[in-house]
Amino acid sequence: MAGKIFIAIDRLTLALDKLSAKIDLWIPASLQTDNRELTEFVPYHAGMVPILDRQTTLPPKKILLPQVETLLRFEHRKDPQNPLKVSVSLDDKSEVRPALVFGARPCDVKGFLTLDRVFTNGPYVDPYYLERRRNTLFATLVCLQADGTCFCSSVGSGPADTEGSDFRVIPVDGGYVVDALTQKAQSLIDSLGDTPTQHQEAQARQVVEEASQHRVGDLDLTGSAEAFRKRFANDDYWQEMTAQCLSCGICTYVCPTCYCFTITDEIENMRGERLRSWDSCMFYQYTLEASGHNPRPSKLNRYRNRAGHKFSYIPEKYDGLIGCCGCGRCIRSCPVSIDIRQIVGRLKENACESE
Amino acid sequence: MTDPNPYSSAALAEAAEQGIKIAGFLCNWCSYGGADTAGVCRFKQPTDLRIVRIPCTGRMDPLFVAKSLIYGVDGVLVSGCHPKDCHYAVGNLYARRRLEMLKSFLSFMGIDARRFHYTWVSASEGQRWQQVVTEFSEQIHRLGANPGVRKQPGENLKPVGGQKEAPIP
Amino acid sequence: MIETDTMQLHKLVEEALPELDTMIGWAAGEDALHTTPIFIRGAKSIPRLIWSPFCAQNLTGYLVKPPALKPADKHKQIGICVKGCDSRSLVALIQEKFITRDRLRIFGIPCRGTVDWRKVMRQVRLSHVRSAKVEDNRLIVDDAGGTHKLNLEDVLARKCLRCLYPNPVVYDVLVGEPTVSRIKPEDIYRDVDALEKRPLEERLAFWQSELDRCMRCYACRNACPLCVCQEHCIAETRDPKWLTLRMGIPEKFLFHFIHAMHLAGRCTECGECERVCPMEIPVTLMKEKLNKIMEEMLGYVAGLDPTAIPPLLTFNPSETGV
Repeated sequence: MAGKIFIAIDRLTLALDKLSAKIDLWIPASLQTDNRELTEFVPYHAGMVPILDRQTTLPPKKILLPQVETLLRFEHRKDPQNPLKVSVSLDDKSEVRPALVFGARPCDVKGFLTLDRVFTNGPYVDPYYLERRRNTLFATLVCLQADGTCFCSSVGSGPADTEGSDFRVIPVDGGYVVDALTQKAQSLIDSLGDTPTQHQEAQARQVVEEASQHRVGDLDLTGSAEAFRKRFANDDYWQEMTAQCLSCGICTYVCPTCYCFTITDEIENMRGERLRSWDSCMFYQYTLEASGHNPRPSKLNRYRNRAGHKFSYIPEKYDGLIGCCGCGRCIRSCPVSIDIRQIVGRLKENACESE
Repeated sequence: MTDPNPYSSAALAEAAEQGIKIAGFLCNWCSYGGADTAGVCRFKQPTDLRIVRIPCTGRMDPLFVAKSLIYGVDGVLVSGCHPKDCHYAVGNLYARRRLEMLKSFLSFMGIDARRFHYTWVSASEGQRWQQVVTEFSEQIHRLGANPGVRKQPGENLKPVGGQKEAPIP
Repeated sequence: MIETDTMQLHKLVEEALPELDTMIGWAAGEDALHTTPIFIRGAKSIPRLIWSPFCAQNLTGYLVKPPALKPADKHKQIGICVKGCDSRSLVALIQEKFITRDRLRIFGIPCRGTVDWRKVMRQVRLSHVRSAKVEDNRLIVDDAGGTHKLNLEDVLARKCLRCLYPNPVVYDVLVGEPTVSRIKPEDIYRDVDALEKRPLEERLAFWQSELDRCMRCYACRNACPLCVCQEHCIAETRDPKWLTLRMGIPEKFLFHFIHAMHLAGRCTECGECERVCPMEIPVTLMKEKLNKIMEEMLGYVAGLDPTAIPPLLTFNPSETGV
């Protein structure tokens, strides 16, 4: 029965302290403590209390795909003996340390499965993402806090999903039963807590069982690829669905599966760096071409692309994988309450109601 | 290789070694002429001022001043024709409102508004120009190098739970 | 009464709709605490229109943001619902000639304040909200955990607590009864004053810690009805390059300087920028300071007089200055 421990709630910070001595630790917390609804994953420091009773506003995406990342630094040097000769030196060293994300949810971790397919499969592998991915472990909660905007079951996942996780953290009376699921996880779990009692183990099993049965989200949004293709050209439908959109980009920034990026060179005189930073398909500039032509000039085109990408193009390209984890952050954070569940759910409807 | 990020500690240290830098935005017709007159008359002035010639203070976007101070220039001086005497008739009348607004706003955002000064110097006022530059330069030297907002995220932020936040990668 | 106001709104819109190309209003959002903008062309959709203290969005931006509403019929008017704050945005748009007054059929709705759902969540962790209503200065919310009664003043948006213009300043039709402001005119800059009382270093530390959270998602800019530059915004252009894509504090400061200062003398404090920010940065506060400067320096308040010119776009030769 190796690989399971129980951590009492009042000994959680102690366990995290011990863990952070072995590995860089990330926990869900509030950036500034005064009175905000906002939570996100932050580096752990001694004494911090993780916030485990709610989904974080921002997903842990930035741990594996930072918002801004230096791909390489370069410097031009002129030879004083020969002014016409300019040499360029390049430096692409990046320091990646092993890390553990404690307190993620199944939806957060599911998002990385899409990023894995994009960045690590096929002939072109992203070495920056890959190194971080290989060095990061996830201790995922069994989620008991789904709210009205969560819909992980609608996209084929669920509150007890462990795909992509290294530990499973099960809330029981008085604490957590932590189950190591992978080899790497086993070695970290020693001396962090006590062996669970029979009662705790039984309760943990029950919690997992109930969570697995619990359906989060009424609709079934799997298998929407064909419906999307059929409705692609239906401009009236998309116009009605996207009229409120502000093209603000919040949905893409809070989404665990969105990964679009831009690469820019930021140069100061003779030196510079090449940065990779988050971009958003909801911005006009995203598809703006050098000629001035833009194949997605309106928010109708852009939102349709976003919905299609997640529910049609990714499933068709990656063996049915859905590019949405059902966390509901896009709905919660959208200033105009655009609901992707509605938009994708209604794709399968036959007629388009015109007024 | 030196870190190309101009806001890294190494880059900041390098900039500090170069001494106080004051940016001067001078309108082409009056103030630039005034500075020229001061030069012709060989009036002694501090050498911290780096002059940028603009056609008129009406060209002055308050953001030029804001960007300079945010990114670490130690002082910004704007000078143009006297009001009602603008070469383009009304340019400095626009500038007056914008720059006055800026002074108050900079201070609200935590940037020392004493690092920004705007004035009117005509082309014949060479001696006055010398005085303006000397006084402002002395003021900036008294205030010292501009710490501005250049610090990396994570430094001097409010600590969470008594611990200092590590920079977010 | 909210319910009678909604019924009155339906009736008025039904009467007006044949003369309108589009009617812009609010409909129910993902739960009882949220609404979503709705664009009505046929009478069938009128029942979806609502008016409640959850109608937070400022709809006036849709009149001018690209792609702006492409009305099928240029000879017909566009109907729009506005609260007091939104009506000032309309005046600002008319002032700058983004839209003409005669193109609009304005349904003005006196407003007692809109609820900030984040403030509600800070008081009670809601889950599966079933219903929400405002009654006798209290917010009554039903969710999976039962019924919760909250003090209305604890959950109203910050901008509503300092609102001097609860009644629309321009309208064709008034829906509901005029109401009174919650605050005295001399107190409206109290949040700005509170920050100004602190020493310079503390002010800088405050803004550094607030703006550090900024993700440069540009939601504040995109939600602002007056920020019409959108894809040409200098915060994003690469030529000229005002900002790099680094996520350092100088970049975040400069973006907010650009955004706020391009609104100096124009901003009508509709509060959308602060409402939409996913990182809960007090974005409107910077513009409140700029508006305070405008009021003290030039006696100007934005969004009241459609014939006025925003003060930084004009000058007065007899003003004394430096």
